[in-house]
Amino acid sequence: MAQVITITSGKGGVGKTTTTANLATSLAMQGQRVVAIDADIGLRNLDVVMGLENRIVYDLVDVVEGRCRTRQALIKDKRFPDNLFLLPAAQTRDKDAVTPDDMIALCNELRREFDFILIDSPAGIEGGFKNAIAPADHILIVTTPEMSAVRDADRIVGLVEAYEKSNPKLIINRIKARMVARGDMMDTPDVVEILAIDLVGIVPDDESIVISTNRGEVAVLDRDSMAGKAYNNIANRLLGHDIPFLVLDEKQGLWAQLVNMFRTRR
Amino acid sequence: MGFLDNLFGRKQPTSSSVAKERLLTVLVHDRVHLSPHDMDEMKREIIAVIERYVEVTNPEAIEVTLTRGEATDHLKADIPLGRSRQQ
Ligand SMILES: Nc1ncnc2c1ncn2[C@@H]1O[C@H](COP(=O)(O)OP(=O)(O)OP(=O)(O)O)[C@@H](O)[C@H]1O
Ligand SMILES: [Mg+2]
Repeated sequence: MAQVITITSGKGGVGKTTTTANLATSLAMQGQRVVAIDADIGLRNLDVVMGLENRIVYDLVDVVEGRCRTRQALIKDKRFPDNLFLLPAAQTRDKDAVTPDDMIALCNELRREFDFILIDSPAGIEGGFKNAIAPADHILIVTTPEMSAVRDADRIVGLVEAYEKSNPKLIINRIKARMVARGDMMDTPDVVEILAIDLVGIVPDDESIVISTNRGEVAVLDRDSMAGKAYNNIANRLLGHDIPFLVLDEKQGLWAQLVNMFRTRR
Repeated sequence: MGFLDNLFGRKQPTSSSVAKERLLTVLVHDRVHLSPHDMDEMKREIIAVIERYVEVTNPEAIEVTLTRGEATDHLKADIPLGRSRQQ
């Protein structure tokens, strides 16, 4: 029986789709049967981030409105043909074509065949967000360490409680170690203290995310990607493994490096 | 960075600590659904009630703030009272 995990954020552009694609792929790499659902109707993107955009025939709205069977709409990821699938969002249709009950019914149908159902939520707190969290067993809230993103994440924490979903977990994305080191970006303990929810992962701001996305690949497939490593760690935590958080100081500023040198010498 | 600050005798708060402070305040307001405008209104009413009972020497010095505690948020009013003896 699958666990349904919804990835949401409040603020747009903080990395929900990137996170969904990487976690889905990472879980599949470990042999889990995974389906990723793009719930961002009208702004479909998970397909391009996963590199599957050319293979779409049917979409989420086709499934909900009964134009095809659920199986027919699932796109196989060629890298993991037996166990990684995408259910794409509709690109052109009316946003209100899908209801929370539709999402619950769809997930209940998929639960039997998969270990993980990951849902990529749209930004905002409107209908699309409600659809995305309705079937969720677990919720991951993505934020960056910036004021507006954290504020919106806090709003989501409140709404998640209001919808009687418990224990949302936090992913802090796009951490810039250099800025943190010089005191110009809130660090992980600050953000965790403010939002007061459990942390499940920290992901550095990393060019490899853009490069992977350009190629229609995902960072977890790139052994040299720091962000990929961070996402693999999160996937492992979802599988119940106890993995320490990454130390994001690889590209620290010169001063921070000097200070660290003095510290370790002493 | 503490090291540089000490070197130049600077004690400016970092932009991240400013962000954190501002966020904590704005989130308390968000959470209790109290806008800064309503907060001012409430402050005026609180002062009016208090003035019915005691003499408030300097209404300007009254501070009504929302702060974050461990498990709950707090509304705090700090009202300096005059110390003039009974005549
Ligand atoms: N860790 C990272 N390092 C560098 N770039 C990143 C990182 N995470 C995300 N990005 C970039 O940020 C942009 C937004 O990411 P993404 O589309 O995943 O966000 P989103 O939350 O799904 O956005 P939307 O709210 O529009 O759905 C993309 O261009 C992506 O490549
Ligand atoms: Mg997205």
